[in-house]
Amino acid sequence: MIGLSGRFRSALIIGGQGIRARKLRTFLSMISLFLGVLGVVAAQAGQVIAHRALVANSELTRGVDGTQQVYLPPADGSSEMLMDVIKGRKDAVAMLSTQAIIGEPNVRPINEGGSPIDGGGGGGYGTMMQCDAEGNCVDPNEGKPSGQAIEVRMLALTGDVRQFRPLRVQSGQWLDFHGAPSLAPRLVLNKAAAKAFTMYQVPAEMRFQGSIANSTPRIVGVVDDGQPQPQAYVRTDELLNWMPPNALSDPQYGGGAEILASPTATDFIDILKKKFAAIADPKMGGGQVYVDTISAEDMMPGEIQLMRWVFLGVSILVLLIGSAGILNVGLATVGERIEEFALRRAVGTPRLLLAGIVLAETLLTGLLTAVAAIGAGIAGLEAASRLFGDRQPMLQDVAFPWEAGVAGVAAGLIAGVLGGLVPAARAARIPIATVMRA
Amino acid sequence: MTAAQVVAEQGTAPLGTPLLRVTGLTKTLRGQDEPRTILGGVDLTLHSGESIAVLGRSGSGKSTLLSLIGLFDRADGGQYLLGEQDITRIPERKAAALRSSEFGFVFQRFFLLKHLTAAQNVAMALVNGQGWLPRRKRRAKALAALEQMGIGHLAKHKPPRLSGGEQQRVAIARALVREPKILLADEPTGALDTDTGNVVVEALRSATDRGCGLILVTHDHDHAGKMQRMLHLDHGILSPMEVRP
Repeated sequence: MIGLSGRFRSALIIGGQGIRARKLRTFLSMISLFLGVLGVVAAQAGQVIAHRALVANSELTRGVDGTQQVYLPPADGSSEMLMDVIKGRKDAVAMLSTQAIIGEPNVRPINEGGSPIDGGGGGGYGTMMQCDAEGNCVDPNEGKPSGQAIEVRMLALTGDVRQFRPLRVQSGQWLDFHGAPSLAPRLVLNKAAAKAFTMYQVPAEMRFQGSIANSTPRIVGVVDDGQPQPQAYVRTDELLNWMPPNALSDPQYGGGAEILASPTATDFIDILKKKFAAIADPKMGGGQVYVDTISAEDMMPGEIQLMRWVFLGVSILVLLIGSAGILNVGLATVGERIEEFALRRAVGTPRLLLAGIVLAETLLTGLLTAVAAIGAGIAGLEAASRLFGDRQPMLQDVAFPWEAGVAGVAAGLIAGVLGGLVPAARAARIPIATVMRA
Repeated sequence: MTAAQVVAEQGTAPLGTPLLRVTGLTKTLRGQDEPRTILGGVDLTLHSGESIAVLGRSGSGKSTLLSLIGLFDRADGGQYLLGEQDITRIPERKAAALRSSEFGFVFQRFFLLKHLTAAQNVAMALVNGQGWLPRRKRRAKALAALEQMGIGHLAKHKPPRLSGGEQQRVAIARALVREPKILLADEPTGALDTDTGNVVVEALRSATDRGCGLILVTHDHDHAGKMQRMLHLDHGILSPMEVRP
């Protein structure tokens, strides 16, 4: 152990002396490797940042890794049952949806059906039809004139959903689930809805499917939920001041429920399944509750996988180029140092250590280059974040991924090994008698 | 054993336990031309504190003999005893360890590394993977070796700023810093003027006062005359020239 340690330290000391003695040559070989390692760092950083952005987007629209996602089909009495089962639980949140129109009463909304507002006209989905059990559908807006009103998808929450779906507050505040419910429902809009309300001045009057009277909503904040269509979040108990609980799960309005639960809430899901089976109409799905576990791996689309392969290909190419540069310099250096290596053998340096000295030099060169490239990567990312962060959300407050640092160091070391192996082998084979015949 | 070889062995002064003994050492170079015998069966014994000069024409095999004794190369035949140990067929790994612990080498060209100071050049013999000394101890040993050569004040100077004699004394300090038992010098005064050469030879010879055995390969009879024994190598055969008590 002591011998190995001594040899290792000897190799580092002599390698360091060799680098100091040939600063310019080391610098030149670093340049050839620098751009390559920087490419690896940039590619890896880009891949990690893109992946993180995709995962973050997926977390917004689906949920965080491991969350159990339960879908409860619409059924008479299911919302009452659901709220009874979920009451007091902190490991599960239900989201019950309905359609709401905010603005002038008795008019066709600007975006019928809650379609995205994009520019002037909006619209596109058409009116959401209301159908009964026999399949007879009616247009609730039939005969109404067009007016200043915006239709949104209303999501009634039984608790703070952000533990499972990390909605990002853009302005104002998120819903406060503590305290008594307000008679004027507090709404948090998503960005698409906020955009619509910015474009159109609409009266603060809200009507929604199943409501018994129009209410006056209070908009308290805006969140980014990754959805293109206008949505609004509201406390369930505040919504229920204006509608009977059963209206939230009325099949006539198509209102199913989505429940997000922690991975440990298995008892809750079991109870939910049993109670739903008891009330569900076999004709309407047979009491089937759909449960899915959200997986981060599944969130990775093919583009990221492709990017990984491209990254791998670029990395190999870059390593070869960098290694060729180091190899070139290494061979030239060994040729110049024949006498030095023969002399070192003469004073007792083993062949293996001589090879180690050359490898130590190329490895140190690779490592120094990697450090420089990582530094440049960090600085470049910081600059890109400052310059383009406003236009590219992916670059906002982005941190340099440690994976890119590891990839850079690995690339530098691998290039050092590949570029140093042949010179090291040559150095070890230099005949010791060279010094005698010089 | 030839008559000349017997005479060479008989010329050995009884100076205690032999440091090394080679018998019947042969070496033939095989190139593109016909094989050329360099050493045709050399016998040589070196005792502790003994100094031997080896003279001979250029190409007579003096350096080859030194490279075999110094374990730089392998003999084709014969036997090599280092103390009591037979090292005739020693593997390279062990040979490197012996070169480090038992031998010191001085060459005609000084082979100092230009990018290192005199002290670092001496200390390089201590950073060879054979054991480990902390930096402070390495420096202290290197300075002591330079002081011994009378050039301690040049420790921080790099080779280009040193004269030939000073450079060769740095090389001798490098050879002695591990306190070797055997010092091998291959024409160490070949690149020096007479006066400087005398200083260098005296520095080498003084190493024998501490029990070190010295083999000096030289063309200079004056320098050779300062050794206890003078041997002549001719056509691969080593024979005595003069014996000094």
